[in-house]
Amino acid sequence: MNVDAQLIEHMMNPKNYGTLAGSNAEGIGKNPENGEKVAVYLRVGTDDDGAYIEDIAFQAIGCTTTVVAGSMITEEARELNINGVRNLIEATMKLLDKLPAEDAACSEMVALALGAAVDTYEERLDDPDFPVITYTVSNSCVPKEENQQEEEEV
Amino acid sequence: MKTLMIKTHEAWIEVLMAGFMSRTSNKQVLFDFSDILFRHFTWLENELIELGESYSYDRDTIPIKVERLSDLLQNIVIRLNEIDLQLMSSPDKELAGRIASDLHYMTDVIHKMDDEVITAFNMERKFPGIKLTQEATDALTLFLFEESYKEYELIMIYNYLKAHSNDAYMNRIFQILIDESFFHLKSFGDMQAKMGLLAVPRIVMKELYQVDDVVQFLKDGIDEELAAKEECKKLSEAVAQDSQELAKFFDFINHQENYHIALMEDALKHFTKDTNV
Repeated sequence: MNVDAQLIEHMMNPKNYGTLAGSNAEGIGKNPENGEKVAVYLRVGTDDDGAYIEDIAFQAIGCTTTVVAGSMITEEARELNINGVRNLIEATMKLLDKLPAEDAACSEMVALALGAAVDTYEERLDDPDFPVITYTVSNSCVPKEENQQEEEEV
Repeated sequence: MKTLMIKTHEAWIEVLMAGFMSRTSNKQVLFDFSDILFRHFTWLENELIELGESYSYDRDTIPIKVERLSDLLQNIVIRLNEIDLQLMSSPDKELAGRIASDLHYMTDVIHKMDDEVITAFNMERKFPGIKLTQEATDALTLFLFEESYKEYELIMIYNYLKAHSNDAYMNRIFQILIDESFFHLKSFGDMQAKMGLLAVPRIVMKELYQVDDVVQFLKDGIDEELAAKEECKKLSEAVAQDSQELAKFFDFINHQENYHIALMEDALKHFTKDTNV
């Protein structure tokens, strides 16, 4: 990870960390490879233009990279409408190939948790008791070379 | 009662952070006071358990970024006074009386502490007396954020397990692990403050400490300790060229993990023997 001032600021003071009182949707992103997990909590409001993210929070069982990604992505998502959030998730997913493996898995986990929270919100419009949606990452936290090496050893 | 426990948790962390920030004789006093507040926290937790009330380790974020120590000390005094007021709602009047007595003394001492200029948030990332390469500085930065949180997390997990166990053998192990994690947290927090990177560890998610499967937790814990040893080794190698002193410190931490592994293996053996897992 390239450690710059912006990154350090997110490490020292992660934005939107914790649970959210009065949230109306939650989503989970998981990495079964190492048991890491991100939960995103949303309070979705509505105005003349439709539904938007009134407030957002996240919690993580994971490494510092996950917390930094959670801090950055949830900050970007705040006050966006639902389409805006979906565009943010798509843009994040497109960036993953350019990141080192361990950073890609962490960012993907946050983006998936955000997507799961939005999907949970939309499902709950029809069914208020709809359970919290969980999505699983496709990126491996382990760099490809190490994966290959392990496979060869086996 | 729950609010009282949360406020005490926050006060414990806030005083610990003040200890990290201080560079004078205030430091040890603040560390001692934070230890006392941690013990208050465990007393209150025990009372909640006895009353059969559910609780968690959730808390509010704790703002600590100040330019002078006196600013934080003022906040701490306000927080301790709030706790003092809330103690009136505690059903155990004897415990409330004991805690109140500590709070009054601590408030009095804190009022009289000399002020200090705080550099713990300047983000300079320079270790006093040691010149590190950019690569070593980055490695140390990431390690300190990762591991200071991890130690706080372990304190909370072992404390929760201990609070909910009546097994003296296991509780001895949990207590040693708590003490070890406190030592590591204090070491890493102090280094973060020296490098201008001090931060409050994030809130621990419930499912981490409300452990369903202790055996799996201990097995995972041993793996994590082995991974931590590897991280210490890597960091020691990264800083060795610039500072033998720092390299030796991380080798020492690396070897300390052997105690944790031995204790967890011991706990695993004891626990599986008792439960026939």
